[in-house]
Amino acid sequence: MLQMTSSINIGVLKCLTKYRHFSTLCKNVNKCEGFPAVQNVTKRWLFWEPDRKGGYDTAHKVPFTEHLKNGFKEIKNEFRLLSQEMKDLIETDPLLVARPGETDLVWCFNDQSVLDKFVTTCDSDHNEGYSTCKLEMSEAGRARFHGVLDTRVPKDGRIKKAGYCAMRSHRVRKSFKREATYNWNLYNTLVLKVRGDGRSYLLNISCEGYYDITWNDIYHYVLYTRGGPYWQIAKIPFSKFVFGSKGRLQDKQNRMRLDRITHFGITCGDKIPGRFNLEIEYVGLEFDPTHDEEFAYEMYKTDKYIVAV
Amino acid sequence: MAAKILRTLLRTKPTNLMMKRFESTEKRVVTFDPFGNKPQKNKKSYLEVIKMFEGRDIRRRGHVEFIYAALSKMREFGVQKDLEVYKALIDVLPKGKFIPTNIFQAEFMHYPKQQQCAVDLLEQMEDNGVIPDSEVEQMLLNIFGRRGIPLRKFWRMLYWMPKFKNLSPWYLPSELPNDTLELAKLAIQRITSVDPGTAVDVWQTEEIEASLDKTWIVSAQSEIQKVLLEEQPPEEPLVIKGPFDVYLRDQVVTYFTLLGKTRQEVEDDKDPDDVSNIEKPPGIPGYLGSTKLPSVKCTVHEQDDGTIVAVCATGTSSRDSLLSWIRLLEKNGNQVLSKIPVIFTLTAPPSDIATQETQIATDEKSSVNQ
Repeated sequence: MLQMTSSINIGVLKCLTKYRHFSTLCKNVNKCEGFPAVQNVTKRWLFWEPDRKGGYDTAHKVPFTEHLKNGFKEIKNEFRLLSQEMKDLIETDPLLVARPGETDLVWCFNDQSVLDKFVTTCDSDHNEGYSTCKLEMSEAGRARFHGVLDTRVPKDGRIKKAGYCAMRSHRVRKSFKREATYNWNLYNTLVLKVRGDGRSYLLNISCEGYYDITWNDIYHYVLYTRGGPYWQIAKIPFSKFVFGSKGRLQDKQNRMRLDRITHFGITCGDKIPGRFNLEIEYVGLEFDPTHDEEFAYEMYKTDKYIVAV
Repeated sequence: MAAKILRTLLRTKPTNLMMKRFESTEKRVVTFDPFGNKPQKNKKSYLEVIKMFEGRDIRRRGHVEFIYAALSKMREFGVQKDLEVYKALIDVLPKGKFIPTNIFQAEFMHYPKQQQCAVDLLEQMEDNGVIPDSEVEQMLLNIFGRRGIPLRKFWRMLYWMPKFKNLSPWYLPSELPNDTLELAKLAIQRITSVDPGTAVDVWQTEEIEASLDKTWIVSAQSEIQKVLLEEQPPEEPLVIKGPFDVYLRDQVVTYFTLLGKTRQEVEDDKDPDDVSNIEKPPGIPGYLGSTKLPSVKCTVHEQDDGTIVAVCATGTSSRDSLLSWIRLLEKNGNQVLSKIPVIFTLTAPPSDIATQETQIATDEKSSVNQ
């Protein structure tokens, strides 16, 4: 997206690395590590994305033989999944109507195995900051996403902003590691039971597509927490989620495709350094028949060559 | 000495030498920092520096570098949330010069450094939550014209920022109070907003003669919580848990909770369809009828890790102030507390100041004992 779009003022992770725009004469000097950038000019990103991770190498380096062994171990499990899928296909008994007012749980964090379906990331993982975070079981037997948010910027002359911690679900997969998507078409509301610390968190629903232009499409909304010892239930309609790419809100907004959801995540990045602590009991879905809003933001046509160019 | 010099020479890598050279050149160049030599760092002196820059040279050479330098100094002067200052900075850019005059200029980013500078300025505004007004729009229009990229950024900001400005369901004043007591009151009110019947009291520890820390306590307890406390089994101890953090924007308030046991779930084998013998419905606890609570967990205070009986924040967050809190609770309508034992479990060490306070308190206690 060749746009310099506006972003949410609350906590959208903006850790875009920005480079100094040196002249060709300064090329050799630029190679010198630790050369302080005097003036930061955004590098113009092109359409083409080399990989899904945006250049971050997060893959586990495993020797080939080890890889083979791990693959063999998986086979049994994958065949079990396949037989389950076949059974579901033959039975053809899908849920067609969601009961209004009842919450269907997607993740109920009462067991370590559910927590293992999530992965945490923070800026210190890539040497781009000093924040740390963990996703653990709490004393009350729930998920506890906690850590320290640090907005200090490492002095390497490349990074302009730092300070984010995020948890995100693994990609949903069918048997034999085929990529699948969640289908939440029956529902229109996201329900979370959380106990926070007064900070605002960011809910991210990724809708990755096939083409590289859609790899970074995430729908965002803010989760305000009350703080304190009481649990709170947050119900957020999907129509309120705003569309962003790489953390930047896009000019042409649209409602998310509920059958193309690939990931769900929560980010802490509200620019307030300090400890954070978010307990989550469940993430669920609900069908609210009284909510008939298609999309909460304006979709009217705007002037040519001003918007979305 | 010579061996030492030789060793360092051998140890240095060529890149390090380059860095050394760079460092030495920087030392020799005298940098002029108009912001650095200001004795008072406030809005007035910041605006003075901008005025000085504008008046120094009619061509305003190096205004992009000046704006970048000024942006990085904003936090130091404490003006990062001031719209007027941002306007003064935008005003540094010359009017009319950067407006493209033909379509090629408009398409291929006329004066890219200046446009990027203005975009970075607007982004800093956005990060600090400063919503621009129509005057900023007029200024940017006069500088870059309506095809300028800073204008696009401005329009996006003006579209999105007001949408998110008042989204939080827990209202906070735009300017948070500096007083810790007022902050604690706001925090406790926010925590206990689940139960509208909660009364927030401010007590002074002076009311308890035995107290060592003379400070304030913001305590919150509702009528339902009083009933729940009364129904606690006297042999089971209550637990003070904390300190926990609650954030009010960028301010942190630590609070403590007094936890009791959750009531046993009563097994109900009665047939709900049997209407031959309907019981009288129980009263609302604390308000109507009998004060006995219904057997099901129905109050919001009965969480799964215990029954929250009271919440407080104290001025020092010390053990002694919490002890005074228990005494004050006992004084203010919770006579049960004289019978039930209370355990202090301070999970994490409180902040540095508070630990010092407790140390002083224990010293005093020991001297009193002597």
